[in-house]
Amino acid sequence: MIKNYRWKELGLFIIPFIILLLIMFQLPLAQYYETQLQTNAQHQIQVTTSILPTIHDLIPILGLIVALFLVNVLISFFFPKADQILLPLVGLMSGIGVMIATRLQTVPRIADPNLGTRQLIWVLVGLVACLSMLFLLRRMGWLRNYKYIWAALGIILVAFTLLHALRVKNFDSPNHDQLNFGPLSLQPSELLKIIIVIFFAAYLDETTRDVFADSSRHFGPIPIPPLDKLGVLGLMLGISLVLFLGIRELGLALLIYGIFLTMLFLGSGRISYVVIGLLVFFVLGFIGYKLFGYVQNRFATLTIDVVNWQNWTPDTIFQARNGANQVIEGLIALANGGIIGSGIGLGHAGSFVPVAQTDMIFTTLGEELGLAGLFAIIGIYLLIIYRGYRIAIEATNDFNQLLAAGLTSIFAIQALVIIAGNMKFLPLTGIPLPFLSYGGSSIIANYIIIGILLRISHNTAIERKGLG
Amino acid sequence: MTLDVFLLILRLLLIVLLYLFLMQVVIAITRDLGKMTAAKEFGTGKANPVLGHLIVVDSGPSQQIKPGASYNLLPQTTIGRGPTSDILLSESFISGEHTRMWYRNGTWYVQDAGSTNGTYLNNQPARDALPARTGDIVQVGYIRFKLAQ
Repeated sequence: MIKNYRWKELGLFIIPFIILLLIMFQLPLAQYYETQLQTNAQHQIQVTTSILPTIHDLIPILGLIVALFLVNVLISFFFPKADQILLPLVGLMSGIGVMIATRLQTVPRIADPNLGTRQLIWVLVGLVACLSMLFLLRRMGWLRNYKYIWAALGIILVAFTLLHALRVKNFDSPNHDQLNFGPLSLQPSELLKIIIVIFFAAYLDETTRDVFADSSRHFGPIPIPPLDKLGVLGLMLGISLVLFLGIRELGLALLIYGIFLTMLFLGSGRISYVVIGLLVFFVLGFIGYKLFGYVQNRFATLTIDVVNWQNWTPDTIFQARNGANQVIEGLIALANGGIIGSGIGLGHAGSFVPVAQTDMIFTTLGEELGLAGLFAIIGIYLLIIYRGYRIAIEATNDFNQLLAAGLTSIFAIQALVIIAGNMKFLPLTGIPLPFLSYGGSSIIANYIIIGILLRISHNTAIERKGLG
Repeated sequence: MTLDVFLLILRLLLIVLLYLFLMQVVIAITRDLGKMTAAKEFGTGKANPVLGHLIVVDSGPSQQIKPGASYNLLPQTTIGRGPTSDILLSESFISGEHTRMWYRNGTWYVQDAGSTNGTYLNNQPARDALPARTGDIVQVGYIRFKLAQ
């Protein structure tokens, strides 16, 4: 076992552990500093051992570090050949997520003393989910063979969400798509995305190349996707889209359509399908824009001129329904951060930006980490996505390839849409930022994705290089 | 030192560590890629050699396959009914992707690819990759092969 031990992964874990300890160390110091700001004596406070955090304060993050180390040991024992670069990246991200949640605990607007602890528990549950994916998916067979059960499960989940949203009757609340069980709240839409990808991958894998090669459907010289042959696939897509548009989860509808286009391209190899899909999207989007006021409001935020802020009037910015105040305040927070940030615990995080711990987590983090820190965060996401696609390329059979690529695409499109929304490049949507955003279902779903990717990489390595 | 200076140091340290980590990951990735291209170059240096054969000893209910027929084995071979299989067996009891075999470090490995009727090595089900030696009996569906040099 020593020969096969995942030394590379362990080595990559060292710096994340140090980073997490550093942040946890800095938080109480920063909070102490903030309390002293009123006394005008902040420049004379000496660093003495009495104000330094004790081991007791560091316990939560030590727990996370031990958990990650145990995961490393377990995986070395059972799956030594799985990808060794994914977990340190993901572990660092989840750790930073827990840290930010802890930091936001004391903000008056949020005032939830257990935010960090709950996030930590979700991360631990997520790690267990990741491990169970590794153990359960011996041969990806049963994912592929029961695809209609997956499709049915997916539709039930969507119906559930829809019924609940209709009961709530208020589409403007930020959590109308959540199911609440006492203190926990789950978003079934997070799991739905994974189920849809599994179903698409299985279906496209079975649809032989002949169906796509038979280019009997043309619009002039351009091949059109044979939608009738794709039958169930189109039905699934249609149902999901209609339902999500119905409950005003535009972000989710966008995500599912994006995944559909990606997997269609990967399965058929024809870029013309994607172009046609995009055209259809733009036409429908334009119709939606004209019809629905709330869509117009969200797009209107994109046109706000940030440079000439003196010309803003309260009604256009802060008082319009579905108005731009979230995004604008996020941008203000970012500007406050500057290049190296205001420091964890030292910014205004969450105090004026609404839903700072979920939708606007990127700008919340950006204020405290600054431009440099945000580039590093985006870099980590890029590396995770690269690794995911690399696992897809190396996979030995079509289903594994489609599945890995589809799952990575969920991840990538999600990160893209919400980061762009925070930065006023796209209309803001309610999609959670993977691993950083507060929310149990998002963390568990993303850990399940990582677990499946790790298992695929393990199977691939075994096949290509043997058991030795 | 004063607290605000200390905090400033901590903040800068955090950013430096983040980038150090990114660098470490990128170095690990490029080393990975380097190993992969080296292995690929070595592999495709010679034309795909035939490393062994599967010889039919019992063709079961098959009409077209006769005992004694010999099939070439490449370093990685897929067996099945699908058109992309290296060894194409057009029998109804054979799945699209039935069996995978590969050669590594001097040993053959046999693994079932999720087929309906299963793959067996010396009557043992090959759900996980099983090592096979010359003379072993590989059963694909209802056809039995002997692994030969």
